[in-house]
Amino acid sequence: MAEEKKKRAITRLESSALVRPLVNKMYMEGALAGMEERPVAWSMVNWWEGDIIMRAMGVTPVYPENFGTVCAALGIAQKYMGVSAAEGFPTHLCGYAQNTIGYTTEMKREGKVPEGAPMGGMAQPTFMLCSEGYCDARFKWFQSLRQFWNVPVWTLPFPHPVYTDPSLQDVHKVNVEYMAVELQGFIAFLENLLKKKLDRDKLEAMLNNQEKVFKVWWEINELRKAKPCPMHARDFWTMMVPCFYTAYDPETLAVYQQVYNEVKARVDNGIGAIPDEKYRLVFAELPPWHSLGFFDKLAERGWNFAAESASYHPPPPMELNGGGDLPYRIARWTYWSYINTGYRAAKMGYPAVGAAQPYYNWAVEYKIDGILTHPLVTCRTATFWHTHSMNVLRDKLDIPGMSIQGDIVDLTVFDAATALNQAPAFEESMDHFRKVRKSKGLDW
Amino acid sequence: MSSKGLAKAKDIYANRAGRVRELKAEGKKIMGYVCAYPPLEMVTAMDYAPIRVIGSMDEPITKADTQVPSIICPMLRSMLDLGMKGKADFVEDFIGAHTCDCAEKFCHLYQHNMQFPYYHFLDVPHIAHKASFGFMKAGFQLFQKTLEAHTGKKLDPDRLKQEVKKHNAQRALVRELYGLRRQDPPLLSGSENLQIMLALLSIPIEEGSGMLKDIIAEVKARKDGPKKKAARLLLWGSPLTETSIIDMIESLNANVVMDDICTGTRHFWPDVEMTSDPLDGLAKRYLDDLKCPRTFRETTSSFEEDQEVRFGYIKDYAKEWNVNGVILQSMKYCDTHGYEVPAIKAYFDRLGIPSLYLEHEYTMVALAPLKTRVEAFIEMIS
Repeated sequence: MAEEKKKRAITRLESSALVRPLVNKMYMEGALAGMEERPVAWSMVNWWEGDIIMRAMGVTPVYPENFGTVCAALGIAQKYMGVSAAEGFPTHLCGYAQNTIGYTTEMKREGKVPEGAPMGGMAQPTFMLCSEGYCDARFKWFQSLRQFWNVPVWTLPFPHPVYTDPSLQDVHKVNVEYMAVELQGFIAFLENLLKKKLDRDKLEAMLNNQEKVFKVWWEINELRKAKPCPMHARDFWTMMVPCFYTAYDPETLAVYQQVYNEVKARVDNGIGAIPDEKYRLVFAELPPWHSLGFFDKLAERGWNFAAESASYHPPPPMELNGGGDLPYRIARWTYWSYINTGYRAAKMGYPAVGAAQPYYNWAVEYKIDGILTHPLVTCRTATFWHTHSMNVLRDKLDIPGMSIQGDIVDLTVFDAATALNQAPAFEESMDHFRKVRKSKGLDW
Repeated sequence: MSSKGLAKAKDIYANRAGRVRELKAEGKKIMGYVCAYPPLEMVTAMDYAPIRVIGSMDEPITKADTQVPSIICPMLRSMLDLGMKGKADFVEDFIGAHTCDCAEKFCHLYQHNMQFPYYHFLDVPHIAHKASFGFMKAGFQLFQKTLEAHTGKKLDPDRLKQEVKKHNAQRALVRELYGLRRQDPPLLSGSENLQIMLALLSIPIEEGSGMLKDIIAEVKARKDGPKKKAARLLLWGSPLTETSIIDMIESLNANVVMDDICTGTRHFWPDVEMTSDPLDGLAKRYLDDLKCPRTFRETTSSFEEDQEVRFGYIKDYAKEWNVNGVILQSMKYCDTHGYEVPAIKAYFDRLGIPSLYLEHEYTMVALAPLKTRVEAFIEMIS
């Protein structure tokens, strides 16, 4: 075991170990709520739009997308994907969805949480919460699950305005107001379903905590601009979980504050997440959850990942004190989380569209040498902009890119060996373009 | 263009870009658009000819791979590819729409590559709650505002009402045309029908309606229509921009007599309700009445009722067109249709109508394995 630890080139944050109990607690709460027949929601990641309202109403959300990452990491997802295919679902659909469809089929077949399901499995839902945000799977998938669960499905709105026009203030106003009105509808839906009223004081207290978590988590990621980068993407992927799912919880805030202190201490002492940072990279977009050890191999070569997964980063803090209108306050934040990178990129005149914008922003701000993309066989949303992002970074900033085909869940399509074979050539490319950038007056 | 009726539709289908270039040369302003969601009534009210941007199953994708990965919807990749090759150079201005996730992203990337002087992106919600109609209408108002700013013209509400009537009249003609396939044998083949629909998507509304009237008269009088065959099929699924799949099916012992695809009934079927503010009728039509699986329909008390809400209209088609089998087809990587497959298949099973699911690559090649499966299916239902 000690020998195994010695081999790892990424120095994980000690405080990242504090996250595991939070995640365990989240899963335990879900399992317990199921056993005690308290309301459980299967919920999509919804960028904080609906979770906190559910929590304030006494509903315990469980997150099939996150469950998909756990099943992938433990190698269980492959079995569930096979079951999904046998049910007639195409195999190109979202890997998380296939995992959940397979899991649900097994659960219905066995009449209980399936044997061998990790983390205590997911308890039977009282209702399911979809989001329009980002991808179609977020509502199509739960719609599909209606054949297994005779429970209501609610879908939260999520406007997708044009990224590049910061002048459309009236559009932003319309969008936020629409989301706020729809959140009132969601509250009415919950009150009707649960036969109880929303405790707005409780919601406000939870929101206050959540917003503090967002701020600390943002500041932690800002610290990663330091050279060497003090926190690797591996730690980001571990630590993004509580921010997404349990930001309302004071324990989450306490953990993030400890993480902040540790990252700050690393910055102050010039300590990097890997021993010898030769290259600073960004990673697009979602990692191979089943093969995260791959990043240690890259770390051994001096590759440090300073930014990643644009859709999962906290946006910069904004003034959220929207008075007593809590749905409006929630809507503003979720909307801001979606538009902030495009908004900033447009203001700064960055020549990119779509998800290339955050990668452009980061390339400049984090002094990036290369972009590593991971096109996913089962996720078009996370993959669509990869080629464009690589083009933009290469053409506008002389930053080269490399791709590794794979998947978030399906481990059979990930070819680490080929990727590692390409690494030396890509390093030469990064070295070359570093000189080109310098010759053009860029400072990295 | 000198040809008339079916021959004209066939000519346009064979060379739609050519016809659009002719229109442009005649002084028509061309507004390109994607999917069935942009409100074409507003476009024609501003004196544009709306032309739907589509891909080509026949043209290998050679340029778009430098912009989008290969696991993205092949039709959208093809559309970008054609644009990058200058084969959609007739498009002057462009309306995008958030129909599915990939289409949303495609529109921004398409504009990034094509740099149209006018680009408007219509943010269509996936839900049809009460507030969503207001949101949709606000989106149309913004579209109006940007279009007026670009053209320097005002959108006249009375003109818009006239355009609504004009488009509804064309929709009525399309429904009449589809009605000619109710009888057995149908008076029109599925391939001919798709050619006509694709032609309609490529010419101005007045020209299209004139062509439809000619075709209806011609088809009613024709003696050389399709032969009676064992299978009367309904075709469901993702858009078809070529007739190759229907040709393949109809080369067997089957007639395709009805469809639920967005280059067919989905695009043309529902009328716009005449409302005092025409934008209200347009918002309802495009958000709710237009039936595409990209819109989430509210859940009901059971999955079976959900199926009725989602697919009941197709059951009506199946009944009225007396079909004895359904071909469910989707191009690979179309998530919107992919998620529907088990539910819609189960729905037709419950109705006692056999169905077959085909996934294809949006190319003319590789249809042979599908043909074998369709052949077996037809034998089974015969």
